[in-house]
Amino acid sequence: MRHPEDMTEIIPHSPQFRPAFWRGMRAFTPLVPGVVPFSMVAGIAAVQAGFTPAESIAFSLIGYAGSAQLIASQMVTSHAPTVLIVLSSLIVNLRFAMYSASLLPLFVGVPLPRRWLLAYGLTDQAYAVTMGRPVTEPSPAAYYAGAAALMWLTWQSGTAVGALVGAKIPSTWPLDFAVPLSFIALLVPVLQRRPQVFAAIVSAVVAVAAHGLPFRLNLILGAVCGVAVGQLMQRWQAKSV
Amino acid sequence: MSVLLVIFLMWAVTYPVRWLGLSLGRLHLPPFWLSFLQFVPVSVFAALVVPEVLGSPEWPRRLVACMVGGLLMWRTGSLAPGILGGFAAYWVVRGVGF
Repeated sequence: MRHPEDMTEIIPHSPQFRPAFWRGMRAFTPLVPGVVPFSMVAGIAAVQAGFTPAESIAFSLIGYAGSAQLIASQMVTSHAPTVLIVLSSLIVNLRFAMYSASLLPLFVGVPLPRRWLLAYGLTDQAYAVTMGRPVTEPSPAAYYAGAAALMWLTWQSGTAVGALVGAKIPSTWPLDFAVPLSFIALLVPVLQRRPQVFAAIVSAVVAVAAHGLPFRLNLILGAVCGVAVGQLMQRWQAKSV
Repeated sequence: MSVLLVIFLMWAVTYPVRWLGLSLGRLHLPPFWLSFLQFVPVSVFAALVVPEVLGSPEWPRRLVACMVGGLLMWRTGSLAPGILGGFAAYWVVRGVGF
């Protein structure tokens, strides 16, 4: 058991940093098998969108945004205007603001430049592992850094492999089909409750019905209708309970 | 459209959002926006994937394969069997001649 004054120790190579960093990394390992196929699909999707393997790898290193990478690649493939690609990515990325706000108390005492790096490493997975850390963890910032580092390594190697392999596979193979499959993988776990299920159904129906709209606006229209129905239903459920 | 521009814009809509919470302090979002954000991923993914699958020239094959893949992901709770099973179902349906 550590002393409470150790809690703000975040200096790398300090005796407190390394063990906490490794604990975070170890806590992340069960998530690796789930991240590998997803990251490979992101690499394949970028190549399918017409990026060279090097551009796909740069895209992943600089953007590093999981589902937004997939969405952007998919929209580039279907020739959506840049404004809409960026808007959709922004909407999907808004959750990161919530994550980083809720992680803030962990980073008290961490120097600003180091926080810039920690912010870059923020992902759904690293956030989830950090929030699920043992209550006794004395250095949560170092623990987060460990989890985020392993996520980053896994993701970047996966997209690189996906981009290099994806460029070699003949175009008659329906490789682009990996993209909708992995979106389904993102969709399945969140369809737990009825408002979510209805949001998805309404969004899909509207997006299909409005597929004739220019600029892939059916995506935005469907998503907005889905969110509205989900919220209405949740409110209605809360009242009737 | 330039690839470099897309990459830069992706950075511009990803990094600052991550940084926002860490720099502004605690974000106090009204409940309306919290629940709004909660429904964003599910709606965006559905609006993206369903027209994409149904709009494909070989949509019956893809629809079957997506249902198989989705079912496998739901039952196993992991991505790899879903993707592999989805592709397997695709080749089976294609091999059978549909």
